[in-house]
Amino acid sequence: MSQQSNLKIPERRKLNTAPTSLGDKIFFRVASGAANFSIVLVGLILVFLLWQSLPALQGQGIDFIFGSNWDAAAETPVFQIGPMLWGSFLISFLGVILAVPMAIAIAYFIEFMASKAVGRVATTLIDLLAALPSVVLGLWGFAVFTPVAAGWAESLNKAFGWFPLFASDGAGFLASPFIAGWIVAIMIVPIIASISREIFSQIDRDLINAAKGLGGGSYTIFKKVILPTASGGVVGGVLLGLGRALGETVAIFYVLNLVFEINWYEILQQRGGSIASNILARFGEAGPAEISALMASGLVLFVMTLIINSIAAWVVAKAQPWRKN
Amino acid sequence: MTNYVPEALPRPANAAPWAKVDPKNTLRIALASILPAATAGLLAIAFGWQFEFTLLAVFLPLQLVAGLWLGTVTAGKRGRGDALLVIFTVFFSALVLVLLMSVLWSVVSNGAAAMSWQFFTQNNVYVSANTSLEYGGVGHSILGTVLIVGLATVVTVPLGILIAVYLTETRGKTRGLIRTLIQAMSGLPSVVSGLFVYAAFIVTGITQYAGWAGSLALLPLMLPTVSRIAEESLRLVPADLRSAAVGLGAPNYRAFLQVVMPAAKSGLVTAILLGIARIIGETAPLVLTTFAAATTSVNIFNGPMSTLPTYLYGFISDPSIQSAQRAWGAALVMLILVGVLFTAARVMTRSRVGKKTKKNGK
Repeated sequence: MSQQSNLKIPERRKLNTAPTSLGDKIFFRVASGAANFSIVLVGLILVFLLWQSLPALQGQGIDFIFGSNWDAAAETPVFQIGPMLWGSFLISFLGVILAVPMAIAIAYFIEFMASKAVGRVATTLIDLLAALPSVVLGLWGFAVFTPVAAGWAESLNKAFGWFPLFASDGAGFLASPFIAGWIVAIMIVPIIASISREIFSQIDRDLINAAKGLGGGSYTIFKKVILPTASGGVVGGVLLGLGRALGETVAIFYVLNLVFEINWYEILQQRGGSIASNILARFGEAGPAEISALMASGLVLFVMTLIINSIAAWVVAKAQPWRKN
Repeated sequence: MTNYVPEALPRPANAAPWAKVDPKNTLRIALASILPAATAGLLAIAFGWQFEFTLLAVFLPLQLVAGLWLGTVTAGKRGRGDALLVIFTVFFSALVLVLLMSVLWSVVSNGAAAMSWQFFTQNNVYVSANTSLEYGGVGHSILGTVLIVGLATVVTVPLGILIAVYLTETRGKTRGLIRTLIQAMSGLPSVVSGLFVYAAFIVTGITQYAGWAGSLALLPLMLPTVSRIAEESLRLVPADLRSAAVGLGAPNYRAFLQVVMPAAKSGLVTAILLGIARIIGETAPLVLTTFAAATTSVNIFNGPMSTLPTYLYGFISDPSIQSAQRAWGAALVMLILVGVLFTAARVMTRSRVGKKTKKNGK
């Protein structure tokens, strides 16, 4: 039975999806080139900021981040952004705390309460709010909102002044982190709301209908179905809003009193800080040494927002498994 | 021949029990909605209370009590949660709406005073803080904005769309990374973008303050918006269309240019429009890179230029009445520009959605 078969098994063909024609090669090359450009761009921003900020970072050392003094006119200039850093975080957290209930309420309203037509109008309004230029919001905050919010701050102080958070030294209530926090909240409501709405709209309707069929009221459904399903996306949206709040520049510039004195909880005092606004405020009259310090603070801001936004983007992507392709 | 008309069967009395609303219940809902507001309003007028105090300390507690009562009467214990949810949602949604309306109204009402033909056409050369509004305007700033944003658009749009192409049309391994990075870039602080261009082009001596440096500073801010929305719209094109084109022998690039791109046209235009709306009001990067000028300048490659945001930025903190009016006027012009872009984008999106739903027969 040792018959030699002359049937030869053909060699396995290599399957290949790589483009063969020249046009396709160019097409795919150009597209991936553009995509890689975005990586290069972020790298370039980091490199140039780092290069420009080296003198300041070397001169100031670790105190650049934790110290709280800024004096360009001194014999050995001192640049320390501690108060601005704390101030940025204070304002951002305040903004997020104010924005989250508004954003979730409006997302819930559009998705689950409003009729189609009303929902569409509300969506348009929220998108319009997102498109408002921040300098216009700054003008409004400076001329219209500040007096009103100062009144709110005064009543808060009168009612809860014994609590350190709402303490006041009696110098007035204008230009405080409280007001800046409101402005930032208005800016980030559309960001959180649009992502929450997106996630809400993707929740399986059968799940909600099943909960209804079992006798759940709208509150039960919200607590037991909507929130657990959507929490990942909402958290991602909140983080994106936090990143945007940290980087907000012009609007805060007009409604906040920048003081180099650490204030991380007294929201009604006229002492605040914001890294981004500090850059804008000092850039015009800065000499080379101070510009280097401003570059360094920009670098700190960039690294912080990049980390927060990357985490946020990752969380949002995780929360939408149906978008994988 | 007479037509036979069948007699409609009588509807059973117990059909659709959910449609039967107890009139008592309707009355209760009306009472719970109207009574708290009416009581609070009357008390406020009678005692001369402040609006905020009335709203938070009188109206809200009354409304909560009324809601809890209504919920308990109609649906028992679980009705209470529902009532709270409705009150919470409506209150906070209304708060957002009031804030937005306040911004829009104050810009329109304050900016209207500055509107005139010469405000749109003249520049700022002989204008000082107390110059009457009859002289000077934002003409040079409109021109500067158009040039700078136009250059930024010309550079960014192809780049953004190509990134979207990479994300949707190719099977590249780094798509997840790029998508995350683009999403992260959308939160890039605008002032950092300005600092980057200042460090890369002005410190190094490549250029002085110039319009094109401003355009470059706007690029990283516009790119994520354009590529994200473009990706979204390319993704909506059914995969069958691509497969069909490739199956008929078209190379991938022609399949994209002649099939996918026309199908996603309105979405891509929306991406461009919203990208422009995103950067048209950016101030900080332009303050750091193009600076401001009082004269009309059309040379985007040399010398400072004025734009609407920097014009507004320069006039806000000036205490004179005329300056404030000029600032509000510039804000109104900007708002009109954003509104036009925005409406155009809406119209584009709506037509796309309309077509799509019709095709699916929904």
